[in-house]
Parts: sequence; C-alpha cells; structure tokens
Amino acid sequence: MTTTTTLDADSTEEAVIVLTRTYDAPRLLVWEALTNPRHVGNWYGGEGFTSPVCEMDVRPDGLWHHVMRGPNGMEFTVDSVFLEVVKPDRLVWTAANRGERPQGGPPTAVTTVTLTDLGDKTLWTMEARFDSLADRDLSVRMGFGHMVSQGAERLAALLQSL
Amino acid sequence: MDSDRLSTMLSALADPTRRGILAQLAQGDAMVGELAAPYDMSLAAVSKHLKVLQSAGLISRGREAQWRPCHLEAEPLADVWSWLSDYRRFWDRSLDRLGAYLETLRRPTPKRPAADLPSKPTQPREKP
Repeated sequence: MTTTTTLDADSTEEAVIVLTRTYDAPRLLVWEALTNPRHVGNWYGGEGFTSPVCEMDVRPDGLWHHVMRGPNGMEFTVDSVFLEVVKPDRLVWTAANRGERPQGGPPTAVTTVTLTDLGDKTLWTMEARFDSLADRDLSVRMGFGHMVSQGAERLAALLQSL
Repeated sequence: MDSDRLSTMLSALADPTRRGILAQLAQGDAMVGELAAPYDMSLAAVSKHLKVLQSAGLISRGREAQWRPCHLEAEPLADVWSWLSDYRRFWDRSLDRLGAYLETLRRPTPKRPAADLPSKPTQPREKP
C-alpha cells in the first residue's frame, strides 16, 4: 500500500469523481472563500450544516481541522492535510489519517480543486482521486469520472435489479 | 468500510469489462464461458477479470472445481455506490452553498453583511 503524502502528478490517471461549478465571482475571491477558514465555515457541508471549528494551515503538509454540526445536532470531525497549495489555481488535500471515513462526513479521497479564471467568473473543478490510497497498479486508469457521469444510470439500474 | 477495501473495490469496478460482467451476473449466476461469450477475449483473460472481482469481494464462486458459477455479491457493490453518492451529495450541497455565499461576499446587503455571518472559528495561522 502506498502511504506517501506526496501527490504524484500523473496526468494520465483519470479522476474518480468530477464536480464543476461556474461561480459569478473573480478567482481570487473564490480562492479566499476556499482557503480562509472564516469563510469555509460558512459553506462547508451545505445548507443546514454549521462549522463550530474550522482551522486551516494552508500550505503543503498543513492541517485542516474541521468540526461540522449537522441539522440533527450531531457533530463530526474531518481532519485533512493539504498536499498542494498553488494560489489561486490549485488546492489539493486528503484525509489526515487516511483511515476510516468519519461518520456522516465526506468520504476520504485525494481531492483537487482547480480554479480557472474566466474574467469576472470562475470555473471550479473538483476531482476526487484514489491513487494514493490504493495500490498503484490497481488504481491507475480508473474510469470513474466516466462511470459516474455516464455510467451512473447503468450502475443504478444494476443495483436496482439485484 | 475502510479506505483500502473501498479503493480495491473501486479499482475492480474501473474496468468496463468487469462492470459488464457484473451487469451480466445481475441477471443471475453464470459460468465463465457464459460470461466470456459477449467479449472477444480468451477464457483465461475473463478468468483474470473474475479473479480481480472476487478478491475485491464483488463476486463469489462455487467451491466445486468443475462447476464454479459466479455469483454477484450485492452488498459491497451497494457500499461503493452509496460511497460515491455520499461524496457527490456532500460536495454538491457544499458547492451550492458556496455559490450563495460568494454572492453575499460580492454584494453584501444591509441584512446579511458578510462580516456578520456566523461562525468565526479560531485561526491558528493567518493566511499568507
């Protein structure tokens, strides 16, 4: 098992999950909202979630300690470590302990956010990869971006047919 | 489910042939030969795929050497699916709210000035 915390920038590897948004805000502002803990606590987790604690040391190997409180009042902790910080282009992080996913929190992966300057708008591209969590040989060429975006119906149908 | 096990399953599922095999098995147990039929590949190659699926816990095979029908193990597959769905849901929700929050940062209104938004957590280190 690979346990290194450095990200091998092998661009031939496919992302697992890709989420994109175009925000009506300049890139620097989006970067600020993504990396300033005072802002992150205001959107992380989405509607109904609050962030009693959000501490971010935004530099490579810096820690991101986050405590979320869900709508039902339950709290859970998400500890991540930043792998790459390239202001205002790219932020990469993964689970700090690489262990079990926190109950109710986001599952663990290597997550890369890329911000593309579109003038007064910003394209947010978020990719979740598993290449540092699994055996290299097994994890390369994962077709999950494709699978999730185009093959989701198929897998869902498959699951429903069970 | 721990990350390593999940990663092994995700990797096993990454191959279109293997997903095809699983889809076939969703119709019922099948022998290697039946599973190989739709593909232009040798039985050995298909067996290799089956081995990957088996070690990921996505299928099981009968014990008797002569008759070893493959059987889909639904539960781990559902785990993977729920993991992917959870991830998407969590971030879809977050990113939607980020969009709304960015609006408040750009166009602060007297009712909801950005500075008055809740949650001012501690900052161990100011951003450079």
